[in-house]
Amino acid sequence: MKPANLLRWYPRAWRDRYGGELLALIQDDLSEGRPTLRLRLGVIWGGLRERGHQARHAVRLALKTRTGSYKWFSILWAGLVCASVPGPLTASPPAARGWQAVTLAALLAAIALTGAAVSAAGLTALPALVRFLRAGGWPMIRRRVWWSAGATVVAGGGMTGLAGLAGLALASGPVSPAQLDVSLAYLVGLLMTGLATAVAIGLWATTAAATARYLTLAPRVRAAQLVLSAVIPTAVMAVAATLAIWWSTAQPSFTLLVIALVNLTLASVAAPVRIGQAVRRGRRLRLAASGAAIINPSAQRAHGRHRA
Amino acid sequence: MSPSGLRRPNDPPLLILVSLAEGPKHGHALAKDIEDFAGVRLGPGALYGAITRLVERGLIEPLGGDDRRRPYRITPPGSAALAEALADMRRVTRAGQARLGLDLA
Repeated sequence: MKPANLLRWYPRAWRDRYGGELLALIQDDLSEGRPTLRLRLGVIWGGLRERGHQARHAVRLALKTRTGSYKWFSILWAGLVCASVPGPLTASPPAARGWQAVTLAALLAAIALTGAAVSAAGLTALPALVRFLRAGGWPMIRRRVWWSAGATVVAGGGMTGLAGLAGLALASGPVSPAQLDVSLAYLVGLLMTGLATAVAIGLWATTAAATARYLTLAPRVRAAQLVLSAVIPTAVMAVAATLAIWWSTAQPSFTLLVIALVNLTLASVAAPVRIGQAVRRGRRLRLAASGAAIINPSAQRAHGRHRA
Repeated sequence: MSPSGLRRPNDPPLLILVSLAEGPKHGHALAKDIEDFAGVRLGPGALYGAITRLVERGLIEPLGGDDRRRPYRITPPGSAALAEALADMRRVTRAGQARLGLDLA
């Protein structure tokens, strides 16, 4: 491996800052006849440690802010929910009457709402994304996109495999749906698939955030993105809650029903606050962009009343 | 662990601070100096890992110059952290010497 290639083990930001210096030092050491293998392994180990350090730093930073922890909690929830949906669908086909039908409809509506919010966020940024790609931006996001796509394939494979195995076990007869639900192997599979799905969703979220930094978005679009970024985690929480309610009706469980209702209540309380904050921030953003920057929104409201 | 994160006498950050206490140096000069006074050969990976942490903590800072041979110097907080770490080590050394009945001079 050439000395310059050793730098690939380090994070990009680190390479940009220290890469030239490290390369010069490696070349000096090599020209002095230092043992090559040990030196190279030391550099590789240093790169891996640096990547680990940056990852820990990023996680600490994300968890430090309330918004950040809410976002990552939502992503983890989304992963576990997505991974757990195919299993019950295979294990117990929904009944077409009563509460089960109502809760299933609510679950599908919540999933549709989440999908619509994610799609809307993507669509509003699409023209800017196309401009960015046409201007030769693809190499800047290529690696992130490939990693995200790879994680999606792994998570999708895990989900399909888990649902397939559950269906097979039920169809062949040795396992009942109730036994499957309490099976340790099934639970471990569910958790692994859930984490893989959460990783995939998290990677796509960071890819989207990183790509957004390169895009030139109109103030109106940025304001819409702010609102959608508040709606998406709320929709995910709604999916989780309705899924739990559906389970509690399909396989009667009072505990699960209570957990689901508490979850739904918390989401219902938090949602208007978060969405309201996002709407106000979006409005300030648009006003600032139009040249009428409002430092204090309450002053603006008072001014509006006075004029009226 | 000390607040500055300097723990053992052979910790790369501590060795770098001791070396820079003499004056600014770039990576290669640092590695040479550390090998001379401590007998420890820091590889490029270990050296730059330690430099990164020290810069992040504000204990050393880069000086202008060639991107490939950028010198670093110790900052006032770096000097204070080094003095504190050396004082800690001196206490341990004295205790050890006293218990062994060695000359404390």
